[in-house]
Amino acid sequence: MPATLQPSASETRENAAFEALLWALSRPGQVRDLPASGPDPIIEALLDRECRVYAADPLLVPRIMRTGAEIADIGVADHVFLGSAAAPEMLARVAVGSDLYPDEGATVVVAATICEGQPLRLTGPGVDGDIDIRVEGLADGFWKARATRSRYPMGFDLFIQDGARIIGIPRSTHVEVL
Amino acid sequence: MSLSDLTKPWEAMSYGFLDGSAKRELRRKVLKSVSVPGCQMPYASREVPMARGWGTGGLQVSLTLVRPDMRVKVIDQGADDSVNAASIRRFIARVAGTPTTMDTLEADLIQSRHRIPEEVLREDQILVLQVPNPEPLRPVQPNMSIARQMHADADYGRMWLQLYEQIVRSGRVMQGASYPSLVHGRHVMTPSPIPRWDVPKLHMSKHLTILSAGREKRIFAVPPYTRVEPLVFSDVPYRVEDHGDLICTRSGAKGFFMNEIPQDDGSSSFEVSDSEWGVKTIRARDGEGESRGATWYRDGQFTDTRPGLEPGPLPPHDQEVPGQARDV
Repeated sequence: MPATLQPSASETRENAAFEALLWALSRPGQVRDLPASGPDPIIEALLDRECRVYAADPLLVPRIMRTGAEIADIGVADHVFLGSAAAPEMLARVAVGSDLYPDEGATVVVAATICEGQPLRLTGPGVDGDIDIRVEGLADGFWKARATRSRYPMGFDLFIQDGARIIGIPRSTHVEVL
Repeated sequence: MSLSDLTKPWEAMSYGFLDGSAKRELRRKVLKSVSVPGCQMPYASREVPMARGWGTGGLQVSLTLVRPDMRVKVIDQGADDSVNAASIRRFIARVAGTPTTMDTLEADLIQSRHRIPEEVLREDQILVLQVPNPEPLRPVQPNMSIARQMHADADYGRMWLQLYEQIVRSGRVMQGASYPSLVHGRHVMTPSPIPRWDVPKLHMSKHLTILSAGREKRIFAVPPYTRVEPLVFSDVPYRVEDHGDLICTRSGAKGFFMNEIPQDDGSSSFEVSDSEWGVKTIRARDGEGESRGATWYRDGQFTDTRPGLEPGPLPPHDQEVPGQARDV
């Protein structure tokens, strides 16, 4: 064994992905870079046999199954990959946890274009005052559906992914559609 | 899918000691705890080569976050050179190959027990606090299931009653450390056993704080720019320790949190609790270059003026609660 351990390539990727996710979630609206494009880095960093996962894109299913995670219905999944098919009626079924167990609220990953389109104003923990962002490609009524589902501390935590770029919107963030 | 797809090359030891599944669980729980500030998230605390209660919770978070180019600082009761801090620092360096530092300004990751450094932490720094007892309701409700229900209902009446009883009995709030604090206006947390002096440093801070209790298997977090308000009655203001006038006998630093050293003649001398701050002050005094950053406190006064918490001037030392005997 060498004197100091060196991380393997997968460990380095997973760590970088987690750091991006952590930074994105603790500072909503700030863009971070994942080590690779698409949902793969998130799958690799977070999922294993203890997870129940829903993926709207069937092409994603084999990659998720490789982690050992169980493919589940959207209502009981703790990680939900909606891709660009994030319809409001799907958000209405996402698990939001309970007041007793807020950690059972799901982590939702959607694909959209960052820095274009619909202007949004975010306030809440992690935001110094307020921050304006633009997101394009989400279905009409997406933010209304999110607001309907959120009754803090219940709610789901959202990652908006644009290629390798990501922004996080935790349930504690208030989103105002401008 | 073949078997080789599912396996990874053999390694004598996982990088950062923790195995992959332990890290993934901690990552998921850290993300959830950031999403619900102050709310305790359960996690399966893993065995590390250290006894539970000696900082295993903080250590597991540090080992999950660490990468080879991350500079690590470990504090125990304000000191970098105590046995526990040195052991944790050496362990992290050995299993993660990270450079270590004692300088708060140089560190990327700071794991601490009992203190938040006196120097203001930056946005890119992460503070990991070790927590022995994460449940603020335990003194008033020993049944953890009922305590969870009380958190769910935001039912903190007994907590207030406890503070009130302390004021009635002693004339002031006697809670010296782990002062119960309301995070983001919803969950009351116990901010590790940090002194009251350090609680205002968490309010609307620029850095991310992750608090982890290894023995109790709970993890919670205070994201940046999050309200952390100590529970106080509107007519009995929050008071930090009266250390504003104390002078460190070794470095001459004044107006910081001090350790009291009993002397043979019954008196006591003081030295600054943040050992690295003391070292820097001595270096600056000896003309070895000024390397001190901005501090949260200046001459014993909290300098941050963000909205929501107006520390203002401290109330006079001999302040009495009307109708109550003064504590001696």
